Amino acid sequence: MIEDRAAMGPEDSAPEPTPEEVQRPPGPARYRWYVLAAVVVALLALPLFRPMISSYNYVLTLGALILMWVAMSSSWNILGGYAGYISLGHSVFMGVGGYVAGVLLYYHGISPFLTALLGGLAAVALGFLAGFITLRTRGPAFIISTIALLFMFLLMTDNFEYLGGAAGLPLPPLEVPQEWLRVPFYYAMLFIAFGAVWTSYRVAHSKFGMGLRAISEDETKAEVAGVPTRLYKISAFAMSAFWVGVAGGIYGYSIAFIRPTVFFTIAISAQMVLMAIIGGKGTVAGPVLGAVLIYAINEFSLVVFGATEFNIVIQGTILVAVLLFFPLGVVGTLRKMNRLPAFLNWD
Amino acid sequence: MAILEITDVSAGYGAGPDILQGLSLEVEEAQSYCIIGPNGAGKSTLLKVIAGLLHPRSGDVVFRGESLAHRRPDQVLATGVCFVPQDQALFPEMSVRENLIMGAYLLKDRALIKERLARVYEMFPILAERAGQDAGKMSGGQQQMLAMGRALMIDPILLMLDEPTLGLAPQIAQQIFSQVEQLKSMGLTVVIIEQNAQRGLELADWGVVLDLGIVRFEGPSEGILGDPRVRELYLGKAAGSGEKK
Amino acid sequence: MTNVIQVAILGLLLGGVYALMAAGLTLAFGVMRIVNLAHAAFIIASAYISFFAFDKLGIDPLLSVVFVMPIMFFFGIAVYQALFRRIEGSAKFGEMTVLLTFGIAIMVEGLLGFVFTGIYRKAQPGYANESFIVDGLFLPEGDILFIPKGQFFASLLSIVLLVGLWAFLRYSQTGYAIRATTQNRAAAEIVGVNVRRVSAISFGLSTALAGASGALMSYLFPFFPFRHWQWVAVLLALVVLGGMGSMKGAVIGALVLGVASSFVVDQIGPTWGPMTFYLALFLILLIRPQGLFGKEVPV
Repeated sequence: MIEDRAAMGPEDSAPEPTPEEVQRPPGPARYRWYVLAAVVVALLALPLFRPMISSYNYVLTLGALILMWVAMSSSWNILGGYAGYISLGHSVFMGVGGYVAGVLLYYHGISPFLTALLGGLAAVALGFLAGFITLRTRGPAFIISTIALLFMFLLMTDNFEYLGGAAGLPLPPLEVPQEWLRVPFYYAMLFIAFGAVWTSYRVAHSKFGMGLRAISEDETKAEVAGVPTRLYKISAFAMSAFWVGVAGGIYGYSIAFIRPTVFFTIAISAQMVLMAIIGGKGTVAGPVLGAVLIYAINEFSLVVFGATEFNIVIQGTILVAVLLFFPLGVVGTLRKMNRLPAFLNWD
Repeated sequence: MAILEITDVSAGYGAGPDILQGLSLEVEEAQSYCIIGPNGAGKSTLLKVIAGLLHPRSGDVVFRGESLAHRRPDQVLATGVCFVPQDQALFPEMSVRENLIMGAYLLKDRALIKERLARVYEMFPILAERAGQDAGKMSGGQQQMLAMGRALMIDPILLMLDEPTLGLAPQIAQQIFSQVEQLKSMGLTVVIIEQNAQRGLELADWGVVLDLGIVRFEGPSEGILGDPRVRELYLGKAAGSGEKK
Repeated sequence: MTNVIQVAILGLLLGGVYALMAAGLTLAFGVMRIVNLAHAAFIIASAYISFFAFDKLGIDPLLSVVFVMPIMFFFGIAVYQALFRRIEGSAKFGEMTVLLTFGIAIMVEGLLGFVFTGIYRKAQPGYANESFIVDGLFLPEGDILFIPKGQFFASLLSIVLLVGLWAFLRYSQTGYAIRATTQNRAAAEIVGVNVRRVSAISFGLSTALAGASGALMSYLFPFFPFRHWQWVAVLLALVVLGGMGSMKGAVIGALVLGVASSFVVDQIGPTWGPMTFYLALFLILLIRPQGLFGKEVPV
């Protein structure tokens, strides 16, 4: 009788919430491609309009930063959104990228424009290693271990003379006339943002991505269904590290120094999480939209309240409010209401 | 006189579909009821609704003149309706004695708790023997007895048991059945879900056949047992699923 | 030899305080499965109360627990009612609580920084810089041990509070309900425990313990708003080590790691103290992912 019950399974169990049907954009909604093309062209062409932009360097710096956040929150989304494994220590990868590129520049004079990709690979390596250990747990314990990972790196960089200790290392500036100084960084970040969003899109539409979503829904069931969960999770962790690492390499160069507190701070991880969640985690367009939104809110509150701690309060409040009232984020909520414009629908 | 009246109850989980679809049932005092029906008929759901663990979407549950439909589980329990779920719901790291004391959680009178404890120990000597043992370390049959003993601590008027013999060896199951028999003779109203319909109906005064969230047939047990429609439709199925294939 | 004893004593004294901090976190996780990333932020907020009570009114930080704990108790209940009640029963509750408390932590940090600025604070009651000196006994001729009074009192208070908590959980009606809810929430409901009320009370208790920890922190460790991240990383490492929700595990983990980090500080340098906790965390994840005292349960 005992074996028999096991085979029968629980009776009257609550029906599984049916995963919402993934909507495909209807045929005529092809205009989303035109929107995308227009955005790409505009972003590529922006630096050409120098005479028409009054504070040229400011605009390009702003643009580069937004693009960096787009890249980072989109990358975070691969693990946090698709696979449902929240990392609160993702800025560790930015730091690894920043330090690899920065150290190579400081000691060997090799330009981060070349070595940033190496920084990304170093981040991937760390992602594999950390994932191998931390992904033995799930849920809260995993999240906690990502925080611990971040603090380990903060401690190490703080204490290694070779890496400049807590004061960090100054980096020689890029030798370009002041008025064009921001252009290379802008294009580098644009490239990174493309790379990251493209990666995110490809993952979302792959078998791998489907596996990650299955893990996010119900890991045990995914495993039973034949998804190699451990391999997928670790791969997702490593993959989500890559563009964050590359962005870190370029970012350190752009501010001309590397320092532990620039990268290995939970505030940066918090931003990635916040952006992905407000935009809609687990969607392709969500983190992109979220990055732009949060960055705009930050700039706005800086202007209104000045550079005070009040910005932090606003961010925390937004996170709490979004979680309580729109846990699906902008894209997810609009989709649920059937109001998602086609140009935001890339899932 | 009916002590429990269920009228037109619809209920389901989360945003899911209705499991109970306008179910109505009357339960008479000091009688025993056996609920049978195929998987997914809504048997457990019905008991959960009565116990206040799940609120009905529509309809009403009235126990001795009071509506239970939107009460919290502790408020329902306070009226004398006690539920023992399928998984027994014990506290694995508490001792047998502590589990029993938890059964009297709503009582404040320490002397009364002591008295009830003695009564339960008398009824289930094995529990007295194992009083200090962690509940999680007992066998399935003992856990079921503990669950029933714990339910008796509150001295319920209506006791609902969800498949108490689930997964137990036949002779242990028989023991549980005789305990239920004893409860019945003490004047308790008992509602029991039993996968082995034949045995359940032999035990109970009344049979209730659920299907697709409503009561399909009900009546005196012998009648249900003898009814060819029921036999054909459910007894075969229910009994068959209890056998090895 | 004397030095080893000295370092171990310092470690145990610190471990006692860590245990108090981790106990609060563990309580919230055990009963409600809330991983409270804001716990350390609550501790720091409480440290400000104690600091200013000492600085402006001359109230001893140790004494300030008398009002800091009740304040934080009701604060915790308010937070629970306002925020956690809303997400009860939501899918992925565990993940939600982490993100939600992450947001709360950011809010508290920002507010503290806004009001009190980012400068270091530390209350300086008389005993903070004094020590008991032990000599003779079993020690070699001429050797002495220092027992810093501040840490000794802090540890003593921690022990008193932890024993009180243990007795409360073990013998009181509400304690029974809290333990029952921790072990089996559904079963607790069935025997008539109002699990929402119990959850609110437990969260209040958890934040009250954060309050007591904050009172101790106010004179033991220099603090400023941003510091809470460093603390929460250490405390969470302890909670995972102990097995997520095991009070015994968290307390033992705190004592063991308190001593271990004390030796690391002595041998390698003060900045490496916290590393002990992180390394221990990764080590335990490698060997025994469910923690020292945890059972293998899918979260």
